[in-house]
Amino acid sequence: MQDFDQKLDSLFAAYREAIQDPDASTDFMPKLWNRIEAKRNFVYRLKRMSQVAVAAALAACLLGGVLITPLSQHSPQIAGTYVDVLAEAHAEDAVAALGGVRIDLLDADQQ
Amino acid sequence: MLVEFEQIQKARSGDDAAFNQVVLAYRKRIMGTIARLIGRPEDVEDVAQEVFLRLYYSLDQLRTPEVFEPWLHRLTVNASYDYLRKQRRRHESRMADLSEQQVMMADASAGGKANDDQRHRTQVRELLDSLMGSLSEEDQILLKLKEVEGLSLKELEKVYKVKENALKVRLFRARQRVLRVFESQSPKE
Repeated sequence: MQDFDQKLDSLFAAYREAIQDPDASTDFMPKLWNRIEAKRNFVYRLKRMSQVAVAAALAACLLGGVLITPLSQHSPQIAGTYVDVLAEAHAEDAVAALGGVRIDLLDADQQ
Repeated sequence: MLVEFEQIQKARSGDDAAFNQVVLAYRKRIMGTIARLIGRPEDVEDVAQEVFLRLYYSLDQLRTPEVFEPWLHRLTVNASYDYLRKQRRRHESRMADLSEQQVMMADASAGGKANDDQRHRTQVRELLDSLMGSLSEEDQILLKLKEVEGLSLKELEKVYKVKENALKVRLFRARQRVLRVFESQSPKE
């Protein structure tokens, strides 16, 4: 194993020797700047699109709010509480028909 | 440092000429490291450009001059790792491509000695790449940074932001694994 350890060290050294630092081509810098510009434009477009999307969403919310508010004010279903709505739906006679008891009659019997 | 920190500060504040100077100062070294990490000469420039592109867009995060080089190393490691991960599926064909390309390069070079040198380099490269094939991309890069690039454990600690002991264990395991493959591939005496 120790022998292989040394051989591996030699192989690493030979690998280092075999692959020297390469020289860059003449168009390295122009290509790099093209990539930087391309990314910059992409980021700018993305930022712009997200700004437009946020503005559109905000406008839609405002529009929705403006349209829904007057409707909700005139809606009878949400004009009162649940109890109010029930009382309105079942008038006093209707409650009696359902087996309800008149409180004033009850009071007279007790007296 | 190959450049003054002042130059980096200028680049940070949007001075393109200063950024050019930083790239020119580090380009050769970074390309050498990438060449040894990815082992595919035709893609070295592309990966190096990716490193400097990432540098350009992250320069504003740099706080102190001491961390510039470890940080640039980290960008190099990350870009090489991303490249190797993309290449993983094409590994088998990659080795074949490499041999073919090396043969073409050898044919093109003049003189018998040049051919011998080229052939020897190709053999060394292919041998180490095949041994390293048993490791994950992360461990290949880590082991090469230590053994081929000669980075110390302290330097690796700064690059990886991992404790020295954890790196030692990881390096030891990676090396043992490569050794086992090396031993199994060698002809028995």
